Order: sequence, then C-alpha cells, then structure tokens
Amino acid sequence: MDNTVVKIENLVKRYGQLIALDHLDLEIKEGEIFGLLGPNGSGKTTTINCLLSLLAFDKGNIKIFGREMTPVSYDIKKDIGIIMQNVAVFDELSVYENIDYFCGLYISDKAKRKQYVEEAIRFVGLEDFVKFYPKKLSGGLLRRLNIACGIAHKPKLIILDEPTVAVDPQSRNKILEGIEELNRNGATIIYTSHYMEEVEQICTRIAIMDKGRKIAEGSKDELKRMIRNTETVTIEIIGLSDDVLNEFAGLPHVYDTKYEDGKLSVFCSGGKHNLIRIMDVLRKNDLSFGRVYSELPTLNDVFLEITGKDLRDKED
Amino acid sequence: MFLHNLKYELLSSLRVKDILIWLILFPVALGTFFKIAFSNVYNETTKFDTIPVAVTDEAQDQTLRSVLDSLQEQEEPLLDVTYADKEEAEKMLRDKKVNGIITADGKLSLTVAESDLRSSILSSFVKEYNSRQQIIKDCIMRDPSKAQDVIASFSEETASLREIPLSSGNTDYMTDYFYNLLAMVALFGSITGLHITINNQADLSQLGARKCCSPTPKSISLAASLTGSYIVHSICMLFSVTFVRFGLQIDMGSRLGLVYLTALLAGILGVSLGFFVGSVGFLSTSVKIAVSTAVSLILCFLSGLMIANMKVRIESICPWFNRINPAAVITNSFYYLNVYDDLSKYGVCMITMAVTALVFDILGILLTRRKKYASL
Ligand SMILES: Nc1ncnc2c1ncn2[C@@H]1O[C@H](COP(=O)(O)OP(=O)(O)OP(=O)(O)O)[C@@H](O)[C@H]1O
Ligand SMILES: [Mg+2]
Repeated sequence: MDNTVVKIENLVKRYGQLIALDHLDLEIKEGEIFGLLGPNGSGKTTTINCLLSLLAFDKGNIKIFGREMTPVSYDIKKDIGIIMQNVAVFDELSVYENIDYFCGLYISDKAKRKQYVEEAIRFVGLEDFVKFYPKKLSGGLLRRLNIACGIAHKPKLIILDEPTVAVDPQSRNKILEGIEELNRNGATIIYTSHYMEEVEQICTRIAIMDKGRKIAEGSKDELKRMIRNTETVTIEIIGLSDDVLNEFAGLPHVYDTKYEDGKLSVFCSGGKHNLIRIMDVLRKNDLSFGRVYSELPTLNDVFLEITGKDLRDKED
Repeated sequence: MFLHNLKYELLSSLRVKDILIWLILFPVALGTFFKIAFSNVYNETTKFDTIPVAVTDEAQDQTLRSVLDSLQEQEEPLLDVTYADKEEAEKMLRDKKVNGIITADGKLSLTVAESDLRSSILSSFVKEYNSRQQIIKDCIMRDPSKAQDVIASFSEETASLREIPLSSGNTDYMTDYFYNLLAMVALFGSITGLHITINNQADLSQLGARKCCSPTPKSISLAASLTGSYIVHSICMLFSVTFVRFGLQIDMGSRLGLVYLTALLAGILGVSLGFFVGSVGFLSTSVKIAVSTAVSLILCFLSGLMIANMKVRIESICPWFNRINPAAVITNSFYYLNVYDDLSKYGVCMITMAVTALVFDILGILLTRRKKYASL
C-alpha cells in the first residue's frame, strides 16, 4: 500500500441547483498537514462531510487508508478524529465527562481510556477545568474542549474544520502549536480555514478552493511560484500625480500599480532591485512620503491572481 | 459500548433540569388544579337526583315492572317511573316533565329530547336491561323464589349508573381527568423520545454528526438512547402516579402494582411515539418538536383531557379511533383496572400499548437507519 491516506476523486455534490462541489480531486499523503483554504461558502465543510460519509454525494469516489469509505466503515472510522466547525459537546456533561464519552465511542478498554482522556486534557491545557460544564468555559477554552473530544482516542487521521474561528490570538496559537505537535506524533492532518496566515503557518501542502472547485494546489512556496507577483512594495504618500504614477508603472519588472487612500502599491514580478528603483523615483521627484514596506506574496495574492477576488473577508 | 452510551445518556438526561422539572411540575400543578376545581363539581354530581321517566308498557311486562319497582324502592331511587300510554308519554317529554320515554316492546327502546347526562344514564340502563333481560326472565321461570335476588342485584348495579354520569362507563368522572392527566404526562415522553433522534442523527445536530463519525454502530447508540429515555421517563411516570394516588388521594383501585405497571408502559409508549416522530426525515427539528407537543395534546384532548365526554362522542363517530388513540388506550386501561375484576379488557389495552410502542420503535429505527444525509 502506498502512503496515500485520503483519496477523493471526481467528487460532485449538489444542493438543488447549487453545485457545492464541482468535480473535486484531492490526495492527501501520510504525515502531511493538508490545508483546505477557501473563502466562506467555497465548499470546505461540504468536502469534509462527504469524506466522512455523513453527506450523500452525487458522483465521485472516496477512499481512506486505501479502503472505500461508507457509513458502516467502522474500521476506518476508528482511526479518524473529527473536530467539527461548530462546537459539539454535551452541555450537561463536564469537561472530563465529555472527553470520556467521546473517547469511549472509540476505546472500550477502561484503563486505556482513562489514560487517553487525561492525556487529552493535558494536551489542550484544560487541567484546571475538568469539572467545569461547557457553559462556564470561555470561547477559546470551549474550542479546546471540542478539540480534545476529537483527538483523545489518538486517531491516525485528524480532520479539523475551522477550529480557530472566533478564538482569541492566544488560544489560536495554542491550537496551532497543538496541531503541529499531533502531526509530529504521527497523525495526518486535514485543516480547513479561510485564514490564510494560519494555513501558511502550519500546512505542508495546501489546496485552494473556490466555488466548489480546487483552483490550485501545492506547498505554499509552490503556490506562490505559480503567480507572477514576487514582491509588492507599498508606500504611504499623499497627492501623487498621474505623471509620477505612470513613471512607477513604467519601471522594469513592475506589472501593475494601485493608488488608493494615500497608499501606493507597486506590484513587481521578478527582478532584484525593485525597492531601490522605486526609491530612486521618489527622490528624483523630491516627494515626501511616510512608511515604505516590501512584502513577499501571500496566499491571498495567489487567490487574488487566480480568481480576481480577495480571499479575506473585508470585515476580518 | 452500550453501557458506556447508556451511562452518559442517563447522566446527561438527568441533568437536563428544565425538562425534568417540567415533567414533574406539570402533573403536580395540573393535578392540584383538577383536584380543587372538581371537588365542587364532583360533590354536585354525586347528589345527582332521581331521573323522571315515562314508561309505555302495553304488554305489562312483569319482569320489567319488578325491576323498575325495585329500582324505585331504593333509598335514593335512580328512576321515578310514570307508566303512561304513548301519547301521554310524548306530551310529558315535550313538557319536560320526564327526561325520556322507555318503550317496552319485547325489547326496551329509549326516546329522549336532548342528549345530556341524564339521557345517557337512561340509555345505559336500557342497554343493560336488554342484555340481561333473558337471564332475568329465565331465572324467574326456573325458580321464582330466587327472582327477587336476581332483580335486586341487577337494580343495585344499575343504580351505580348514577355515579357514571358519562356513558363511557367511568365510575367517577373526576378520576377520569386524572387518568387523562397521567396519559398526558406519558405522552409528553414524546419530547424525550424526540431528543433520541435529534442527538443521534447527523442532519439534526452536531452531536449526532459527531456520533455518526465514530465506530460505534448506530443501532447501539440508538438502543442506549432509547433505554436511557425509557428509564428517565419511567421515573417521571412513577412520580406522577405516586403523586396522584397519595398526594391527591385519588382512588385508583386496589391493584396499585398494576397501576404502576400501566404507567410505565404508558411512558414507554410516549417515548416511542416521540422517537417515531423524530425519525420522520422531511421535518425540521422545530417542526418535530411542535408536532410532538401538538400530537400529545390533541390525542389527550380527544380522550377527554378538557371535555369529559369527548371519548363518548368519538365512540359514536369512529369507535376504532378510541381503540388506537394512545391517550384513550392509556386512560381506558387505568379505568378498566379500577372498575373491572376481570382483567381481559385491561389486558387488551396493555397489549395495544406494547404493540404500538414496538411499531413506533421499529419504524423509527428503520427510518433512522438511512445512513447518509442529503443535507446537513
Ligand atoms: N444544507 C445545505 N443546503 C443548501 N446549501 C448548502 C447547505 N450546506 C451548504 N450549502 C451551500 O454549499 C456551499 C458550500 O458550503 P460549505 O459549508 O461547504 O462552505 P465552507 O467552505 O465550509 O464555508 P465556511 O467557511 O463558511 O464554513 C455554500 O454555498 C452553502 O451555501
Ligand atoms: Mg465550513
């Protein structure tokens, strides 16, 4: 058997007229942290639900650990850990009981289960809250409980659907570090998010989705190499004339410029001395300016270039 | 696996305080209300006086006359008989001097002006007499010395009709309200039953989705949830019966053990009803909750929770409905248990309940077994 953990072929899912997944192919290898990145409504959760055989799909093939996934594939399910997008825990059970309950759906041996539950509690840092009921937990702690419930049984494949939504930065970092640790301990991870920074930070391979389609796939460097942008220089400057703007646009390696709200963005493709050339133009015209910074392309640029839209929500 | 599921099922349901409180407070509040409200009404009904009736008996039937005489001889006579010919009788009825005309022509038949409590007592009497007539006659033929005993015992039985203002046969019409109350608590188990499906189906809750992802088969988690709900609801039923019997001092007959058993089975029926409603695929969760509540209420209404002689009316329109309406079956089994020495009618009710519950469970499991969902 090769080291493919998940293989999705030609997956189509319709909700009435809406095509939520449009001939999607994915292949995830053992040991990867695979990122599924896409804006809201791009079909990430739908993909996960099809993968888990919760959702009936119209077309396609799904194999996990080399075997076909069906609702009764209990031998596959026992090795999967799932952390859903929405917190799903029992309000009436304490932190410990919740984790014990979910772990017990996978592990019958009591002694082993006790050990696993305690490890999971330590792993997410909820030691001080074992007797708490979910209602008494803050949003971040609740997310951590949600994660603990999904990973206590030490699954080989862990699926996290936007585990950091509405989580403060501190909890978010803790969660991301945790995911990397789980991966180091041998688990293959599928991680969906619409926060490109997170995906960039932890994922070894990334598929970018839009409108139910996979529009690009690769490591973050591979993805960034796919686009012509290599550097974006931004200058805070007021009252820029069209002449000077044209001068910037005419520089070598510059393929686009944008001037908005007192901010000039110069998009460059290749070349080594872009920043210096831009500074030369500023000095020659004797223009005063505020901050200047140069950015390497982000996954947002990748998304922007392929779809013509911004990946991030404006309100984020 | 099963025990693990059951343990947490019980833990979590016993901690859902609002539902438990509701299920326990409800019989207490409504029961107390019934008790207070009916204590007056009830006193009036027992004082229920003699019913004037005209009898046209051209053949001068001796058996009938002895029965009627013996009825009139009692301390608080059930009937005040005036023998009259047809025309006279009809006039008396029109003038409201009598409540009905009993015509003897081989068999008895009854004419009444309006249908009310009195006319239904008369109708019970006529029915009863017609069915016993032959026995009484045979008896008089064979051994006239015993005739008086037979007639006396029949009159005594018919006299007790007075305590049954409703021809549905209740001995005590206040008790019927409490039977209905217990039926209602039992059927509110449907809300508990509904949560079984909600908590186990991926398309109804995130928890359900999470459970569906685990290697624990659906059959096991469903069985554990059902068992847990039965246990929790049984506790509510035991409490309710205890409260009605000992808290409110309602006489439920001497076979208290069977009363409790009936309550338990009724509770199981209620939970199964909810489980079934919950598993009907095309309804949304909120609709399901509304449907369960409404169905419980309507069934109880049709068995007389609010209007006492509802069941009697249904009996005349579509009697089969009373045989299958869970609320009617539950109230009837309490009633039969209280009133009849013979347990056969009670047995039929109990079997009906058990079969209905089983059918609901099987249908529910068949419907929930559909494994993938079209939409989550
Ligand atoms: N049950 C449903 N019925 C109809 N349409 C649905 C349903 N669930 C999802 N959709 C639609 O399918 C598309 C994909 O939704 P999905 O939830 O998979 O997106 P997502 O990438 O997970 O988004 P988010 O980042 O908001 O979680 C969306 O357009 C959504 O409106
Ligand atoms: Mg989603």
